[in-house]
Amino acid sequence: MANTATTPSTTSKAPTPKPIMRVDDLAVSFDNGRGPRIQAVDGVRMSVYPRQTLAVVGESGCGKSVTAMSSMQLVPRPPGRFDRGRILWTGSGGEVDLLTLNDRQMREIRGNDIAMIFQEPMTSLNPVYTVGDQILEAILLHQNVTAREAIDIAVQAMDDVGIPNPKARLRAYPHQFSGGMRQRVMIAMALACQPKLLLADEPTTALDVTIQAQILELLRELQQTRDMAVMLITHNLGVVAENADVVCVMYAGRVVEYANVFELFSNPMHPYTRGLFASIPKMRTRRDRLVTITEVTENPKEFEKLPGASEGVRPWWPWHTPPKDLKAAPGPAGDYFLQEVKPNHWVGVWRTAAVHDHESRAPDLTYRIVDDPEKIALRPKAEHLAQSVGGD
Amino acid sequence: MLAYVIRRLLLMIPTLIGITFLVFMLFALSPGGIGAALRFSGGGGQSGQDARAQQAYLEDRYGLDDPAAVQYVRWLARISPIKFGNRDQRDPAGTIIRPPKPLKEPSLIGVLYGSRDQLVKPSPVVPAQLDDAPDQRNSAYRNAASNYQNERLDFIAAETDLRLALSTWGTTQGIRKVLNAKSKLDPSKLRGLKLPELVDGAVPITNVPQAIRDQGTAATSAYIDASRNVVQAYERAIAVHNEAQKARDHLANVYAGKPYPEVGFPIIPGALSVGPPDFGTSFSRSQPVLALIRTALPVTLLLNMIAVPLIYLIAIPSGILAATRAGSWFDVCSGAFYVALWSVPVVWAGTLLIGFVANERSGLGWFPVAGLHSPEADAMPFLPVWGQTNGFLLDTMLHICLPVACLVYAGFAVLSKQTRAAMLDNFNADYVRTAKAKGVSHKDVVMKHVFRNSLLPVITMFAAVFPAMLAGSVVVEKIFSVPGMGKLVLDGINLRDRELLLANTLMIATVNLLALLLADILYALADPRVTYD
Repeated sequence: MANTATTPSTTSKAPTPKPIMRVDDLAVSFDNGRGPRIQAVDGVRMSVYPRQTLAVVGESGCGKSVTAMSSMQLVPRPPGRFDRGRILWTGSGGEVDLLTLNDRQMREIRGNDIAMIFQEPMTSLNPVYTVGDQILEAILLHQNVTAREAIDIAVQAMDDVGIPNPKARLRAYPHQFSGGMRQRVMIAMALACQPKLLLADEPTTALDVTIQAQILELLRELQQTRDMAVMLITHNLGVVAENADVVCVMYAGRVVEYANVFELFSNPMHPYTRGLFASIPKMRTRRDRLVTITEVTENPKEFEKLPGASEGVRPWWPWHTPPKDLKAAPGPAGDYFLQEVKPNHWVGVWRTAAVHDHESRAPDLTYRIVDDPEKIALRPKAEHLAQSVGGD
Repeated sequence: MLAYVIRRLLLMIPTLIGITFLVFMLFALSPGGIGAALRFSGGGGQSGQDARAQQAYLEDRYGLDDPAAVQYVRWLARISPIKFGNRDQRDPAGTIIRPPKPLKEPSLIGVLYGSRDQLVKPSPVVPAQLDDAPDQRNSAYRNAASNYQNERLDFIAAETDLRLALSTWGTTQGIRKVLNAKSKLDPSKLRGLKLPELVDGAVPITNVPQAIRDQGTAATSAYIDASRNVVQAYERAIAVHNEAQKARDHLANVYAGKPYPEVGFPIIPGALSVGPPDFGTSFSRSQPVLALIRTALPVTLLLNMIAVPLIYLIAIPSGILAATRAGSWFDVCSGAFYVALWSVPVVWAGTLLIGFVANERSGLGWFPVAGLHSPEADAMPFLPVWGQTNGFLLDTMLHICLPVACLVYAGFAVLSKQTRAAMLDNFNADYVRTAKAKGVSHKDVVMKHVFRNSLLPVITMFAAVFPAMLAGSVVVEKIFSVPGMGKLVLDGINLRDRELLLANTLMIATVNLLALLLADILYALADPRVTYD
């Protein structure tokens, strides 16, 4: 049943695909007036493959948006600054480091190769221009077409995202759309130039549940028809379960856990991830109050469940004092490292004596649910999955 | 949108009435009252009596002897395009001719003199049969009018005598100040008193009140003299009044014969018509107010049409530049410079400019010191001739340089700061991030996305700046002796010129309201979220 969707793309792909974007040891900090610089992101590594959905999960301020914005150089500089690291982009012209591009080169990529949609559809569209103007602006910037052709492309883009009567709606202003329709306009605008990677920064947070489901369904559909990778930034685990192939859990500017969605949901290893799952209310169980994340992360026993815990492998946690046997590597972020604790499952750990010379490969998963006929059947039940997994 | 504009235009009517009423009442209550200059400056070389008669005549002519509220309502009726009653007529000189007002009775005749029987009653109006020739009609009206005017002058003189006599008579009764400062009679004080009955033209001693008889012979004879004078003054006033009444009736008949073409269009003949507003004649300059405005307004407009665009052309780009480089030396320096300019009082700046830039002896002598043209400007060709003359155009431009500089320099601060603040607000807006994520260049982000959204405060400023400049160049026009609207308004206030002031108030208020309306319409054009439906 999944074959029809997967066959053409698998045949067109090279046998060992390259990640379309790879974030390597990214560190971004912000000026804080007279105080010390705020390290928003520190040593983040992740990778996205074509047609893959990478979900980046974490609470507000954990650095997930900064990571996404960095890849488009949208982090305001100053106060922001790229301290170190690379974001490698595999485009038509080979591999380039997005952080080193100048403004003109970056504009070529923005909106064209990488597009972004934002959390607030209410304010993300310019209120004084018609949506047609705003979609056309993106098309005319990146594609060598006449105005008339651009209009056809825009109409097609709006039709693709399910906006009824797209030709007439081109002349409408953003305030004449509902929130969900505005997010559809944003998506149409982002996808009008056929980007290879879509950065979706909490695209459904401001929408109600029904609209949220519609928008995510739309994104899934478009991803399949357009051969596009998606980096889905969210803090909603239900959204992750339904949409993601690979999940990257972030906390305080670092990756704490990285695995494919089924592995992560069935076997969360970092106490913070377990705390996240524990805090989800479960159906058909009566509780007076919900479990908080801190209840899990403040339990010392939770930190001793990692494979190799007996040898002294400890999950990294910024609120803990570093273990006594910490043997920090030289250089920044040396106290922490992303260990592949089991094949294809990474957890952020302290660089203790037990792992001080350990080198594991950077998180890199080509996993896609569409290629996994066993699991694809589970997807409709994914939401249920988010609720049945976790807890204790 | 159209319905909204119409509603706003209709709402302007009560607003304008309110504004003019307020201004007029403040004006009427100010020391000297309405038409002070007119009433107290005339009569040079005349005897006191003649001067008073002249003053009373002018008061009567301009209705200044009526209460302020009546004067206001009469003004309102004149400027209203909807007129009640018979239509006015316009003489060949363009002056609006109205039917003669009813003649007043001699003062207190009903109270003191006993009866009005001797007064001739106004006769019903019978339209006079006039010649068809316009000249004949004109001279018929002119004759009747000047005849009535002479008779009325006599009557007013008799009335003035009567008031003096009444005043003296009141004094014999021990009442101080029967006449107030404006030689207005205070009837409340004389009420209750009775004039003695004359027997053979004399006052018998028995008719003198006991209280006055008790004071002794001097008081008694003063009372008897004063009483006789009052009675005689009444007799004369009645005689003159009757003559004047006849002349008035004749004039009314001639007027009813329609010697001149009527003004406006009838809606209900004889009851309701639509006609042009009549702004009246300035007391102080004896010219129609409209003609005065017509000469003054272009001058002010010339100044402002140069000043306002200049302010906008300098303040907005520098505001944009300051916002895109917030915190840079340009931002800080331009902000400080504009605020410094804004803090300089225009009176001082104007005087300095005249002293150091315009003055030929102690300053640079680059510009003329005052006025709008050189004295010989009328003889100049329009364009300059090298080595011979500046020409009319350049001459005017040189004259308005300094006034425009004074109008402009203080305007930069507010507008550029507003623009800068609005731009900075929008720089952080989500849609700017979206535009950047689309790959829009920085220049386009600033000009297309941010600036367009920052227009609203700039429009608001326009609504505030434009009318204020139209009226508010009073100081600048005074300093540089430019004969514009500001000077006209100031003169109107100084001379207590009712017509001039009310017309100016009305015009400035109208421009203000129209500017506000224009700003609201511009909002809707600048921001599609704003609708008025």
